[in-house]
Amino acid sequence: MIELAFHKTLHSADGTMPLRVDLRIKQGSFACLYGKSGAGKTSFARIVAGLLAAEAGRIRVNGATWYDSEAGIELRPQQRSVGFVFQDYALFPNMTVEENLSFALRRGQDAGIVRDLIELIELGGLRDRRPAMLSGGQRQRVALARALVQTPALLLLDEPLAALDAAMRARLQQYILRVHREYRLSTILISHDVSDILKMADTLLHLEHGGIVWQGPPAKYFGRSSLSGKFQFSGELIAIEAQDVVFILSILIGGNVVKVVADESEVKALRIGDRLLVASKAFNPIIRKIDVNPDDERIPRS
Amino acid sequence: MNILHGHIDSLTSSGSLTLVHVNVRQTRLSAIVIDRPDTAPYLKLGNSVTVLFKETEVVVGRGTEHFVSLQNKLPGSVESIAKGELLSRLVLATAVGKVVSVITTNALRQLALEPGSAITAMIKTNEMMLSE
Amino acid sequence: MIDWEPLVLTFKLAATTTVVLLIIAVPLARWLAYTRSRIRPILETLVSMPLVLPPTVLGFYLLIAFSPSNAFGGWLQDWLGLRLIFSFEGLVLASLIYSMPFMVHPLQSGFASLSPSLQEAAYVLGKSKTATLFKVLLPNMKSSLLSAVVLAFAHTIGEFGVVLMIGGNIPGQTRVASIAIYDEVEALNYAAANTYALILFVLTFIMLLGVYLFNGGYLQRLRQ
Repeated sequence: MIELAFHKTLHSADGTMPLRVDLRIKQGSFACLYGKSGAGKTSFARIVAGLLAAEAGRIRVNGATWYDSEAGIELRPQQRSVGFVFQDYALFPNMTVEENLSFALRRGQDAGIVRDLIELIELGGLRDRRPAMLSGGQRQRVALARALVQTPALLLLDEPLAALDAAMRARLQQYILRVHREYRLSTILISHDVSDILKMADTLLHLEHGGIVWQGPPAKYFGRSSLSGKFQFSGELIAIEAQDVVFILSILIGGNVVKVVADESEVKALRIGDRLLVASKAFNPIIRKIDVNPDDERIPRS
Repeated sequence: MNILHGHIDSLTSSGSLTLVHVNVRQTRLSAIVIDRPDTAPYLKLGNSVTVLFKETEVVVGRGTEHFVSLQNKLPGSVESIAKGELLSRLVLATAVGKVVSVITTNALRQLALEPGSAITAMIKTNEMMLSE
Repeated sequence: MIDWEPLVLTFKLAATTTVVLLIIAVPLARWLAYTRSRIRPILETLVSMPLVLPPTVLGFYLLIAFSPSNAFGGWLQDWLGLRLIFSFEGLVLASLIYSMPFMVHPLQSGFASLSPSLQEAAYVLGKSKTATLFKVLLPNMKSSLLSAVVLAFAHTIGEFGVVLMIGGNIPGQTRVASIAIYDEVEALNYAAANTYALILFVLTFIMLLGVYLFNGGYLQRLRQ
C-alpha cells in the first residue's frame, strides 16, 4: 500500500495555491496523475521523491515511512526507494548509455541488471553512445531504464511522453507497461494525455487546483464505463448539425476533424467544447493503403 | 445509441476473439469482441453488461421469418415514425425494450411501414459493443 | 641576464592562489547557483566587489587589518605566529579575495547552466552531494572550470595595486613580476622591464588563447 498524505503551499506567478492530498494506492498499480498544467502535478511528484519539502503529512510506501512530520521523519531523496523519470530525462551528458545505467548501481549491486535493462528496452546497439547522439525516444528509454536499476518500490514518471510524436509515444507506452509488469512496480505517471491514461493506467488521480478531485478507474472517468470497442479516440466536440432525423457531430481528434452520426437522444446532453470518447467496433473501419501517387487511386468518399 | 442491460450467458473464445451471448430480458443477444476473458476481466459468466449498438446499424424486416445471417433478431412492432427527406427514425417496441432504428426513407416506403406494423429488428453480431 | 626570482614568485603566488581558490570557490559557486536564500545577493555583491573597487582600496584595508599594531593583526601574530603584511602568506590571502570573482563567476554560471534535474536525478539515484559534484556536475562544466582556473591564475599574475599595498617589494617574498617591472622602470632600466613585461604578455596570451580555443570548440574540430 502506498499512502500519500501531505500538504504544501505552492508559490507561482499567479499567486499561492495549497497542494493538499490524502490518498492510497494499491501496491503494484499503475496510477496516472492527471490534471491541467499548474494543477500541482510536478510538485506532487517532487514531494513524493523528497526533492521538495512538504509542510506536513505522511508518506508511506509498502510499509516504509519516507516522511512523517509528526514523528519528525523526513528521508532524503537518496534514502527513498524511488525511481524518477524527469521531463527533460536528465541523462548525464558525460556518460554513455551504459555508464548512465551503471552509475545508478548501488554499492555492491550486481551489474547484471544493467545488461538486462539494456536488453529489455532494446538499446544494445547504442550502449556506447552519449545522450547527445540519441533521439528523444531513445533518451526517454534510457531514462526509464536508469530509474529502474535500483529496482525502486515506486516509479514516478513526470510527463515523459510529452515531447514525443504520436508514433514514438505509442511505442514508449508499450515499454513503460512492459517494465511496469516485468519489475512488478508501483507506478505513478504524470500526464494530461487521455490516450496515455486509457492505455496504461488502472487508477486515475485527477488533480485540480492542488487537490485530488477524483480517484478511480480511468475508463469510468472518461467513458463513464469501459467499452469493448477497439477503435477508440478522444476528441473535442466542435460542431453539432441537425440533418434529417439524425445529427452530425464534428469532432477534433489529434488534429483531424472527423464526423460522426448521432441520435437525438445522445445529442441532448452534448455541448460544443465537450471532450468525447469516440468508439467503434474494430470490425467496421475499412483500411486502404495510401498510394504514393494520389492520381492513381482515390480514397473512396464516405 | 441503443443501450440494453443484461448479463453474460455464455463465452466462446478462439484466439483473441470472444463470442459473447448476453441475456437481455430472456432474449439471447450475441456480440463478438476482440478481447479474451483473461485480458478483459468483465468477460465473466453471469456478469452484468451493457450492450450498445448504433441506431443506423439496426436492420428492419417486415414480419418475423427471415432467412438471413444476422444473429440478433428481435420481433416486435413499430411504435412511432419520424420521417425525414432521406432518413427516417423508427422507434420499435421489442422483447428487449425500445429499440431505435434509422433507415432510409425509401426503405420505409418500400416496406410500407406504419405505426403498429409487425417487424423484426436485426443487428449483426459484430456491431454489438459491450460495456461494463 | 635578468633576475628570475620575481617571475618564479609570481607563478608560485598564482598557482597557490588558484588551488586554494578552487577549493573555496567550487562549493561557494554551487551554493550561489542553486540557493534561494535571501543573503545570496549580498554574497554575490561581496564576491564581485574586487571587480570595480580600485585594488588599492582593498590593499589599504587589508594593510590596516593585518598590521601587527592593530588588534586583529596583533592577535594573528601573537597567537598564530602569522604575519600577513609584507609576507607571501599575506599576498596569497589578498590574492584570494582579489581574484575571487574571476574564479566564482565562471563556476557559478557553469553550475547554473546545468539542468537542475541533473543534480536531482543523481540524488534520487542515491548519490551523495560530493559524489554528484565530482561525477556529474563538474565533468559537465569543463569549459567553465577551465575558464575559472585560467582567469583566476592570469588575473593573479596581473595584480599590482593590492600587492604593492600589502606586500611591498621584498625580494623572494613579495617582489612579484608586476612590481619588478614598476621597479625597473623607476630605475630607468627599460631593458629589464621589457623582458619581464614581454614574458608576462606572451604567457598570459598563450593561456587565454588556450581557453578560447578549447571553449570555442576549435580543438575538437581540428581533431576531426
